[in-house]
Amino acid sequence: MGYEWDFGIVLRNADLLLLGLANTLKVTGLALAFGLPLGLALALGRLSPRRWLRAPVGLVVEFFRSTPPIVQLFWFFFALPLLTGIEIDPFRASVLTFSIQSSAFFAEVFRGGIVSIERGQWEAAKAIGMARGQALRRVVLPQAVKRMIPAFLERVIELMKTTTLVATVSYADLLYQANNIAQRTYRPLEVFTVAAVLYFVVLFPLSLSVRGLERRLARSGETTAH
Amino acid sequence: MDHVWDFTSVIASRKLLLIGLLHTVELGVLCLVLGLTAGAFVGAARYSRNRWVNWPASAFVEVFRNTPALVQIIWFYFAFPILVPIDIDPFLAATLGLSLNTTAFAAEIYRGGIQSLGRGQWEAARALGMTYGQQLTRIILPQAVKRMVPAFMNRAVELMKMTSLASVIAYGELMHQAKTISTYNFNPIETYTVVALIFFALIYPLALAMQQVERRLRRSE
Amino acid sequence: MSEQGGEVLRIEGLRKAFGATEVLKGIDLSVAKGEAVVLLGASGSGKSTLLRCVNFLEIPSAGRVVIDGTAVGRERDGAVLYREAELIPIRAHVGMVFQHFNLFPHMTARENVMEGPRTVLRLPRAECRERAGRYLAKVGLADKMDAYPSHLSGGQQQRVAIARALAMEPRLMLFDEATSALDPELVGEVLQTMKDLSDEGMTMLIVTHELGFAYAVADKVLFLHDGRIHEEGPPDELLVRPREARTREFLRGHASFRLPEAEF
Ligand SMILES: Nc1ncnc2c1ncn2[C@@H]1O[C@H](COP(=O)(O)OP(=O)(O)O)[C@@H](O)[C@H]1O
Ligand SMILES: [Mg+2]
Repeated sequence: MGYEWDFGIVLRNADLLLLGLANTLKVTGLALAFGLPLGLALALGRLSPRRWLRAPVGLVVEFFRSTPPIVQLFWFFFALPLLTGIEIDPFRASVLTFSIQSSAFFAEVFRGGIVSIERGQWEAAKAIGMARGQALRRVVLPQAVKRMIPAFLERVIELMKTTTLVATVSYADLLYQANNIAQRTYRPLEVFTVAAVLYFVVLFPLSLSVRGLERRLARSGETTAH
Repeated sequence: MDHVWDFTSVIASRKLLLIGLLHTVELGVLCLVLGLTAGAFVGAARYSRNRWVNWPASAFVEVFRNTPALVQIIWFYFAFPILVPIDIDPFLAATLGLSLNTTAFAAEIYRGGIQSLGRGQWEAARALGMTYGQQLTRIILPQAVKRMVPAFMNRAVELMKMTSLASVIAYGELMHQAKTISTYNFNPIETYTVVALIFFALIYPLALAMQQVERRLRRSE
Repeated sequence: MSEQGGEVLRIEGLRKAFGATEVLKGIDLSVAKGEAVVLLGASGSGKSTLLRCVNFLEIPSAGRVVIDGTAVGRERDGAVLYREAELIPIRAHVGMVFQHFNLFPHMTARENVMEGPRTVLRLPRAECRERAGRYLAKVGLADKMDAYPSHLSGGQQQRVAIARALAMEPRLMLFDEATSALDPELVGEVLQTMKDLSDEGMTMLIVTHELGFAYAVADKVLFLHDGRIHEEGPPDELLVRPREARTREFLRGHASFRLPEAEF
């Protein structure tokens, strides 16, 4: 075929790609910042002894875990503004969608971690007079969080991969920029390959650290929750 | 603000949705079968002592696990045709992207499942005089596959969701049909709500079944 | 090749190194037909490694293993080469019992015992069933044929494992601490099974810490230390009047060993 690779074009547009990468990281970071606490709240709701709380929270979590994120994003971007009358730009729609979407997954990580703590720990905490909330905060969560870290990082990796969807509502993330440059320069092979490499460069070290942590935890006799 | 829900235009488009649903299932099942099959070979290759075999297999797995599936699909649609002398339509690009993605994840599932069995099972089989193939097929795989089933089901769940990415390159699966319907009828609220519910009805039972299997396995071990 | 009648196993100058650490530094021993030889040694002294070299779960670094008068492996340029195809029939004729049983959990007791004859010896199904029944009865588990390992006690599991090895009708049986993983009250039934086997004339090479058993059953006891056979002799010498200081020290460390004189 003798295709002549030309990465010079990519290099000349490096600033746009890096800007896109920065936006990808921005959406990921914000979704993480909102998704984590929301996830903890959902997990606690799901573990609540009160059925009227447990059941709807469970439904929300399962719904967001069992539907494609692109459908969720389109719903929040195209349907929600019509329903509420509030204008919503691609950036806000993306952060909103991925905060909720990732919180559903984080909820399961939290829940798995909390459930993995032996009953004896709850009982010991209660025996010295702690309330449920205190036992959770002071005794159970500190132990659970350590075991959950690999599963969290795993979810962060998935979250960042999922944020590529924002390109479909024209938010200028890495994939969106790559697509623009490819169309402008007629060099999709180089541009998309470099975009993939950029994602890989960010995600692969994260993957490696997940594996390292998992090994460490397994050696210290603790299992990860998932 | 005071939106009056009206599903008539969605119901009128039920044929489009049904076609989309068929395409979604078709793409999902095809990529699952391809991915689980190829994953067994890639997983085995990662075990090989020959570095010319295990190194490419590992690189393949890492690349496909650590890049977004959407980028993979788009790469196969826009970039790959430049390298190969064949036409790549949206269906082929989506199939390539999603089945290779599933292959990479499945390879890790096979590896994890086999590694979860201790050395003792291999050794007991070897001590009886079994060949490597006999050890694998008679002793290791029957136990390992059982442990892998929940992870495979989880892959199926993820894959069914990922099929919606094919809409980005205009493959006529459910999500793409939804875009079309909402554009023509100006009814994104109803259309995307219905499509979300269809996906949920398709995927949630799988997720439930997976949890069930997981619980049963945990009790039996 | 020596012509000693009924020598089942001979080991000559066996060495085994893992990377830079040499675990076995030249072992010579021989086991005659019908003999029970007990191998003693501190933890980490290489007892398992030695047993595993006999059925080639580990490939020796140097030296020869001679089974039934045939040296295993081909010598070339001073090194010994082993082909997997050659090792498989060796393993089929040497039974091994592991410390942790290693029963196949997805098979019943009967299926565990049938597996070798069926898959490796390729005997007809009916014959495999018959063998499984016979050997399970022999170890006293005729009533547990259809039980899965997870429903058996440790002692029962280990007896199934013995039956599994016996069903191959091996020339030689290797026992690697067969009772070390058992609760104390279950040790007896397994030792009794092993003693019965020896009484019936089975050739056995046994690693154990049960010195009372060694005293009662062994024809010969070897003490492994520093990669070599440090001392060997009949049980009523080595266990009662060891010549070497190291051996004495090792025996003293086994507090559970009541002096044979006191017992018999
Ligand atoms: N596969 C292996 N790789 C590296 N070292 C090993 C291996 N197997 C055994 N060893 C080492 O060889 C020595 C002897 O081990 P082993 O034969 O199991 O001793 P024993 O059975 O007498 O307790 C130990 O120091 C052990 O760590
Ligand atoms: Mg040992």
